Amino acid sequence: MSASDTSALIQLQKRFQDYLLETAPGMDSQVKPGGRIPVDKRLGIYHNAYRVRLVDNLRDTFEKTWAYLGDDTFEQCARAFIEIHPPVHRSLRDYGAALPGWLERQFPRDADVAELAQMDWLLRQAFDGEDAEALPLEILAELGAEDWETIGLEFVPTLSMTPLRWNTPAIWHALDKGLPPPESQALLDQAWLLVWRRGWQPHFRSLDAVEHLALGRLVDGMRFADLCQALADAPEAAPDQAAHYLRTWMTDGLVRRLVKRAGNDGSGNPSSIQER
Amino acid sequence: MKKASPGFGLGLRPDHYADFLAAPQRVDWLELISENYMVPGGKPLAMLDAIRADYPVALHGVSLSIGSAEPLDRAYLAQLKQLSRRVEPLWVSDHLCWTGVAGRNSHDLLPLPYSEEALRLVVAHVKQVQDVLGERILIENVSSYLEFTDSTMSEWEFLTEVAQQADCLLLLDVNNVYVSSVNHGFDPLEYLRHLPPERIQQIHLAGHSDHGDYIVDTHDHPVCEAVWAVYREACVRFGDVAAMIERDDNIPPLADLIAELDQARAMASEVARMSRAVA
Repeated sequence: MSASDTSALIQLQKRFQDYLLETAPGMDSQVKPGGRIPVDKRLGIYHNAYRVRLVDNLRDTFEKTWAYLGDDTFEQCARAFIEIHPPVHRSLRDYGAALPGWLERQFPRDADVAELAQMDWLLRQAFDGEDAEALPLEILAELGAEDWETIGLEFVPTLSMTPLRWNTPAIWHALDKGLPPPESQALLDQAWLLVWRRGWQPHFRSLDAVEHLALGRLVDGMRFADLCQALADAPEAAPDQAAHYLRTWMTDGLVRRLVKRAGNDGSGNPSSIQER
Repeated sequence: MKKASPGFGLGLRPDHYADFLAAPQRVDWLELISENYMVPGGKPLAMLDAIRADYPVALHGVSLSIGSAEPLDRAYLAQLKQLSRRVEPLWVSDHLCWTGVAGRNSHDLLPLPYSEEALRLVVAHVKQVQDVLGERILIENVSSYLEFTDSTMSEWEFLTEVAQQADCLLLLDVNNVYVSSVNHGFDPLEYLRHLPPERIQQIHLAGHSDHGDYIVDTHDHPVCEAVWAVYREACVRFGDVAAMIERDDNIPPLADLIAELDQARAMASEVARMSRAVA
């Protein structure tokens, strides 16, 4: 059953919501007067509760950013953010995706704040992201020579990468231990942050430009043999760099499946070689 | 009509996951916030599966928005049904409220005007949810801080009409009755007297915050004497009903909540003994 725009109920709900979101003035005339509490105070309880709940939720999601900015600055930011980003999702889990970008515009000279917020956000998304069991390293020993020609990797679904321009992971670790964070410092070389979940625990570590590129290519469907070739041709990569990466990714619990892939010029769907 | 009472329960909170996994606890059943488990995966769902293996569970939602004057969110309903299939709950409940319209969500349990139009809408929505889930749901009274001039009936009349017309059950939150009674100046026992006993499937107990001229439903304190008094009356009127304590902030050790739950057990037993003696 849906109500038409002429229904008294939808009109009342829109007005009440507009009052909560401060997009329209109050609706005192629709609230029963009388009793010991004035009408504006009654409305104000809802006006306040809406904001307090969302600030609490942002504190919970952006725990390290909150610790970094301190109570007052974080609350000020959260309240300003809430006014221009009212929730549109059913679940509070999805609220706050736009906060890192908003912080970047608010603190253009302190981009480490936005970077830390992005890190908080990705770790929270990984926390209850889709499940997948990672393959153990030993499974590689079962592969034959011909498998290595066509193999590609599928990664756990909680894997994400984001650019890193500051010493944000060091700041995060200090805050996590309750220590004063180090001075923010711009990185000399562009890096990336890799986030994923292993078991129930979200993890992160930094990637340099080569590893980021290598991982990105495999995520996009490149065969491992083609990555080996590309890295062998790259002057900045060490010999056996691809094999080293593969061992690291398997040990980190990043790989969920080994799949047979067609070459760059080929087509067709990958078929699974190994999966748990 | 209603199911037999599973006894005395608690709202499951992440702070207490480890306690429930470590050893059997003196809790007959648990209530879960549905939305906390409507997630892709990870620890929440793993904990849910592990704890569900040992305890009956009820699903309690906060985002159904049964009173929004627009169509129900079908994607949300599908997710709720999926969770319900996974959990096989005692029952599924949500609130007599609305949370947002026109693509917005306040994440608050906003009050409805108790009008004929709102009644028709809520009844139709409850029926729709029951059709999707294939069973009766429970609707809970919320704490409120204002009443609308559009209301033409009391909350207890509205709730009773919803239950009877939609053929659903009720989750009576005695703390919410008390909070609203103070904020609006009515007698909480009068509220209880008008509810249909045969439809009260579950009772919530909780604490609140006193702001002097009004009180707020914060679930951050133990249950206060005044709310225990309303619970005692609920035991007298409604008999053996599944009761539980909700605690959402300032969460104490599990043992403290179990001790508080023992108070509910003792009160319900005492009322039952007295009723038998009178009968």
